[in-house]
Amino acid sequence: MALKDYIAMEERCSNCSFCKFVPFDVAKSIRFGDNCPSGCYNNFNTAFARGRFQLGLAIAREEIGYTAETTRIIHECMSCGACDVSCKVCRYNLEPLEHNIALKNEAIKAGHILPGQKKMIKSLEEEKTLMPGKKKANRLAWLGKLEVKDAMKSKAEVLFFPGCRYSYDKKLFSVAQGALKIVMATGADVGILGEADMCCAGRAYQMGFFDEFNAAAKANVKAIKKTGAKMIVTPCADCYHAFKRLYPELGLDVEVLHITEFIERAIDEGKLSFSKKLGYTVTYHDPCHLGRQGEPYVAWHGKEKKIRNQIHTWEPRRPRYIGFYGIYDAPRKIIAATGCNLEEMERIKEYAWCCGAGSGCSEHSPELSAFTANERIEEAKATGAQMIVTACPWCKGNFEKAGGMEVKDILELVLEAM
Amino acid sequence: MALDRAIYKAFEQVVGKRNISEDPGVLETYRCIAAQSSAHYGPYDHKTPTPQAVVMPGSTKEVQGCIRLCNKYGIHFKASTTFWSAHGYIDDDYSIQFDMHRMKNFSIDAKNMTMTVEPYVIAGTAQAEAMRYGLTCNIPGVGCSSSLVANVSGWGGPGPSSVYTGSAAENLLCFEWVLPNGDIIHTGSESAGLAGFTDEGPGPALRALLRSGGGLRGEFGICTRITFKLSPWPGPSEMTTEGHAPAYFAKLPDNIRAFTLCFPDWDRWGKAMMLLCESDIIFAGHRQFSMFGRDIKAAMLEILIDPDKQLCDIEELNKLESVQKTNKSIKIEMYVVVAGMTKEDMDWKLAALNKIVEMYDGWFDERCNQKDLEEWMQSYFIRMGHKNLNYTLCGSYEGTFGLNGGNLLYSASIAEEAFAVKREWEEKDTFIARIGGDSSMGGLSAMGGGQGPMLWEFFAHFDAHDKKSISGLRNFIDNVSTKFQREHDCPGPEFCRCNQMLRKESGYGFTQEEMNEIYKKMPDVNPYIYQFKVQKLFNPNDLTGSYYPRLDPASL
Repeated sequence: MALKDYIAMEERCSNCSFCKFVPFDVAKSIRFGDNCPSGCYNNFNTAFARGRFQLGLAIAREEIGYTAETTRIIHECMSCGACDVSCKVCRYNLEPLEHNIALKNEAIKAGHILPGQKKMIKSLEEEKTLMPGKKKANRLAWLGKLEVKDAMKSKAEVLFFPGCRYSYDKKLFSVAQGALKIVMATGADVGILGEADMCCAGRAYQMGFFDEFNAAAKANVKAIKKTGAKMIVTPCADCYHAFKRLYPELGLDVEVLHITEFIERAIDEGKLSFSKKLGYTVTYHDPCHLGRQGEPYVAWHGKEKKIRNQIHTWEPRRPRYIGFYGIYDAPRKIIAATGCNLEEMERIKEYAWCCGAGSGCSEHSPELSAFTANERIEEAKATGAQMIVTACPWCKGNFEKAGGMEVKDILELVLEAM
Repeated sequence: MALDRAIYKAFEQVVGKRNISEDPGVLETYRCIAAQSSAHYGPYDHKTPTPQAVVMPGSTKEVQGCIRLCNKYGIHFKASTTFWSAHGYIDDDYSIQFDMHRMKNFSIDAKNMTMTVEPYVIAGTAQAEAMRYGLTCNIPGVGCSSSLVANVSGWGGPGPSSVYTGSAAENLLCFEWVLPNGDIIHTGSESAGLAGFTDEGPGPALRALLRSGGGLRGEFGICTRITFKLSPWPGPSEMTTEGHAPAYFAKLPDNIRAFTLCFPDWDRWGKAMMLLCESDIIFAGHRQFSMFGRDIKAAMLEILIDPDKQLCDIEELNKLESVQKTNKSIKIEMYVVVAGMTKEDMDWKLAALNKIVEMYDGWFDERCNQKDLEEWMQSYFIRMGHKNLNYTLCGSYEGTFGLNGGNLLYSASIAEEAFAVKREWEEKDTFIARIGGDSSMGGLSAMGGGQGPMLWEFFAHFDAHDKKSISGLRNFIDNVSTKFQREHDCPGPEFCRCNQMLRKESGYGFTQEEMNEIYKKMPDVNPYIYQFKVQKLFNPNDLTGSYYPRLDPASL
């Protein structure tokens, strides 16, 4: 939807400030009671979902134009969705996350984007990745000498999709290989997209670049359909979200599993077991796009309908994404199965604090991104854990950049315990 | 009109470049949309004025520096924290908006059971901190997302647990206040350089002058710190819950229970409530979910505890026999939490509760007292974690017309008549939600020891996006308020749309001349003359708006 389609929501925001904090039923402290990295970094009301509603209203009604500061604040949102969950504890007819992204898209359409975003989109168009400086020609380097079926040439039941970060970050090559080996070890008929492999473009969507996302996603859907795959397995939370929540609207109709779900299933079916008990004390960071945004897509095309004079609902019934069905248990079960002790942070699951890499912020807004990661590391340290474990390469990379604590991909625990 | 560059730079030097903005996009988000539920201002289809700049001081010294600049250059100012209420928004074009977001330090003195907080500490997380020490705080009815400092300085701050903890105003010990002229004052034991363990007295108190009975509603400078009393919390050191958003269920020990009490008529309900207030057995009490409306409240409870249900399910749920049965049962009800300090204490409290319910032929609702709803309600009333269910139906509501009689039994005696009037409007006028007349709510005891406030906030839900709904709501309240004022001598419009007399319909503040015209018509003009003198003393440059009603005696 265009920004003007959100005017009703913008006017109906109750100004209650729930979007600024974790759901209050589960708040445990003042220090870690906030939920919006952009709001806490910028401080101004403008940066919170509530401010974005009001800013959007003024822009949609053409009451104000864009300045450099307005443009910066609009794009300095990680689309992490924490505001969305907290808002929907009480509100059944607002969509803060959707609106935040629509606000970005409106700015983009008006030509107001950040320099870092320009580079990312150029890279997507030219090199098929949102990681500037990386080359399409090197995309399969992560495989090393590992041999796997090219599903574009020979059909495969399961498609393994590593995503850009695993494909280009040399430190993660062995982890990506390990993930693929785990899938292969279960006896699955697995392949990759080979030369057709490219960015899922989920981050382009998060940034509000809808046209660029659609172009990339359509190409991916076409390629995936050609492989005949019935299941996609990915170790990347962003790719998982793109395939599971965004691609179905563009015609993708396959089962989408994050690697943690695949491993959990393999353990339950007796296809995977661990030989070592690692004994680490760890804390787990829920990636936004695996956790609260990892809920299944539900098709909806409808309109507002008022009942009882003024109660606004939707016709037909609209899906209400609130993080309830996100992926929280699989990673925790895996951590337990590897013999690690889990010490939970204060902000977990659907109300987890973002890692700081969402919506490309680690590329285009590094200060905000570093602030956000440091906040999470402080929270992780407060648990007394030895390390912070996560299930997304973007989160891992951002935490490593922040420093101060050992960071592991959950796959590293799995591979070590096998 | 932008601020003169030299003036802007002066503010920038006080708070730092990063903490001041005059960007049009930023300023836009510091305007109150008068169509939203904003402490009974309007509703109108416009916004309050745009400030010249927003400043975010990080300390009392920075607050003082900015206020002194406002005095030097004759700039009006207002401060707010979470920006819910219209009171905190500026009401003059040549104004600076203070955003107190950066001031959120706090400390707890567990031994003396006190807590000291800066403006951006909100009630929900303050309570979480207090619970670590076996303590809790009053969570004001405005909700746990609101600033405690704003509650104490700006209003009275009653809430569901005020029957046990006392209201925000009652718990205040000391405050630090930057006056409109830039002077800083400390009250209570802090004024002697000691810890904040006691308030002022004996003798005249600045506390009474600066916050008075109801609070200053954003006037008179900026309160930068308060110390207030905490109360014992007999539960775990953190609010243990299960479930995911939106339905969290408290997992608390047996000495903390939630109950839904029901009565056959308002007379017996009122008498039971008075006895509950006096009995000292209630931790929190609120007639709350009644705000959804008599016809749909049972359905709403089923929706709120089930993540798969939505507002569009109301009608289907209402067809269920079980929902109809609950709706009938909880027609005249009260929701309470009982917390025992020991097993014996809990046993006694439960026995007393049972006795009171029995005395007035009441009953415990079967459905609401089942485990899932009880656990959900525990979390609701202890933390007020879902307070903003006020907005669930339509996004906005307005309330309080005529039922705030100041005496519970009086309010109860005219309740059904008021509900019938509202139901009639719901049927004939589609601008407010049709939910069954009765949508009144209120806490069990609050300001002044209780008994009055229940039934005080009579909700009318409307759509802030729908211009007809906005004006229709206004028309409804004005008509009904006038009727009740005329027929029952209820405060009516004086209270329910009190901001009509504090901020002009345009969003701007009243001038002194305009205030003179309003307040010289009051039956007793003396309080307004007194406030005029206080204003002259503490706010000589008249920089903080018209939320402090005052009458210039020279105009009489």
